[in-house]
Amino acid sequence: MIKVTNISKKIGDVQALDGLSFKAENGKITGILGPNGAGKTTCLRTIFGLLQPDNGTAFIDDFNIAVDPVQAKQQLGLFPDPCGLYDRLTPREYTEFFAKLSGMTGEQAKQATQETLQQLNMLEIADRRCKGFSQGQRMKTALAQAIVHKPSNIILDEPTRGLDVMSTRLLRDILQALKEAGHCVVFSSHVMQEVAALCDHVVVMAKGKVIAEGAPSDLCNMTNKENLEEAFIALIGTDEGIAA
Amino acid sequence: MINLFKAMYTKELLDASRDKRSIMAGLYYAVGAPVLFCVLFMAIITKMVTPDTLSISIINAAAAPDLVRYLENNGIEAAEENDKSEITLVIDGDYAHQMNSGKPAQVFLQADYSKDSLRDSLRKVERKLNEYSGNIASLRLISRGVDPTLLRPVEFQVQDSATPDSKGSMIYGIATLSIILSVFFGAMNLAIDTTAGERERNSLALLLSHPISVTQLILSKVAAIATLSTCALLLVLLVSKFAYPMVPWEEMGFSVSLSYEFVVFSLIIGFPIALLAAGLLVYVSFMAKSFKEAQSYLTFVLFIPIGLSMLTTYNIAVEKVKWLPVAGQQSAMIEFIKGNAIMWPELLVSSFATMILAIGLIIMAGRMLKSEKVVFGL
Repeated sequence: MIKVTNISKKIGDVQALDGLSFKAENGKITGILGPNGAGKTTCLRTIFGLLQPDNGTAFIDDFNIAVDPVQAKQQLGLFPDPCGLYDRLTPREYTEFFAKLSGMTGEQAKQATQETLQQLNMLEIADRRCKGFSQGQRMKTALAQAIVHKPSNIILDEPTRGLDVMSTRLLRDILQALKEAGHCVVFSSHVMQEVAALCDHVVVMAKGKVIAEGAPSDLCNMTNKENLEEAFIALIGTDEGIAA
Repeated sequence: MINLFKAMYTKELLDASRDKRSIMAGLYYAVGAPVLFCVLFMAIITKMVTPDTLSISIINAAAAPDLVRYLENNGIEAAEENDKSEITLVIDGDYAHQMNSGKPAQVFLQADYSKDSLRDSLRKVERKLNEYSGNIASLRLISRGVDPTLLRPVEFQVQDSATPDSKGSMIYGIATLSIILSVFFGAMNLAIDTTAGERERNSLALLLSHPISVTQLILSKVAAIATLSTCALLLVLLVSKFAYPMVPWEEMGFSVSLSYEFVVFSLIIGFPIALLAAGLLVYVSFMAKSFKEAQSYLTFVLFIPIGLSMLTTYNIAVEKVKWLPVAGQQSAMIEFIKGNAIMWPELLVSSFATMILAIGLIIMAGRMLKSEKVVFGL
């Protein structure tokens, strides 16, 4: 579970987050939807404690990220944008390294890595160096890194960018599986179809604030629109910055 | 805590060991520098030991066969007819007659005296002409029954107090300079890759989103770079150890031989320098946002240790300089090669200063990474 309460953050002269509050439950996929520059990435960085908020707190499970950063971070897995791969390491080495960084011992990390690679169906490429990987392979490697330590919360920053249909479907299946296993999955996106297809709960953001939240159907009902895209535009009040 | 450090350190070394280009760059330096300097030393020594024969044009040589022979015996020979030399010695038409009648016989030395490149050669020709003149004068006096020493009321002799070792001090300086610089250059590319490179490929924020503290992150990076610097140091020492004996030192009257004791000694006193190098490399390249930017900063910053080392090499303010980082260790290495006693107070003070400086840089790098502005380039 991730709970964000009243977070504000000013970067330079820009009020990137402005009293942002939302809650992402376990066993649900929560989508953070917003136009470019809405503060999605800033919000995720704040949850990870990479940015210090001027105001407000973020709780991961029951840990305040500002007070217990180590415990809080152990409950989190991050799929960053861009992936941040090491080209000279293999997915196995890469995943194992991050498993250890999340506090696993050598033996645990090795075993968890093997299981994760199996789960993501990537044993074939597990011992090839990441240099030259396709977007889909890179995405899988980054995802393996995010879930190897079995965090209860997984955060994905624009995970579908650059993926082909097959990879996108695969990602969707993986996220569904994680949700069914009771994880709290949060992902930021500006691609409506993704959010509509996947999310149980949508948080619509603009200018650092939550404009509306609820299930996709709730948002459509709220705005009297047929689909999420129309609802989104109605909520934001402009179609600026939606181009995916 | 220790596990995180170990995981990070192992990853750095694994990643670095696969970075062939950076490894090669380090190897080029560690193997190339001592070999290059040896070739240079060989050239210098050959030149010093067998000075070149000087070839000058002599006009009307037939008039003064004895003088020409004297010059030839002293390494100044007449150039071939069509081989124009920049120095011309003209023997006067009246030379033989004047000489025979005991009057001043004239020779003219023609050259462009403003040319620096001719200065040594001209001085040599002048000296030899004066010697010849003095010899003839002495012979004339003897034939007249006069003791030629009468013409030498003051007898002056040069007594060179330079020992073979002190003659070699510049060479010792250059040899140790090449060894010390390997610590800074050997791991430079790898250092940039693990700092500015980490930021360039967006993995820095990912690392920091894991439960690893900035201090652990920096320390493991410094440890990895220091390890690689020490490898470069060991390599350059071993290559030097085998390359230097090939230089014909005996012709200079001294020798530069690096014993295994010297290798061990250098590795030990090189440790603080390796830490300093790692601290400096990490601090400066974390300031940069990209690989290229880091490279240009580092080229600039590395002039500082090079400068310190140069001071020792060229014997500038040596008494004060040997208390300073890098220069102090280099002085100690030079004394060790010469077989002199090590000046421990100086060495300890400079090593301590090196460590303090390294720790300062590491703390500053840590502080920098705690700033969100630096991490995200905001």
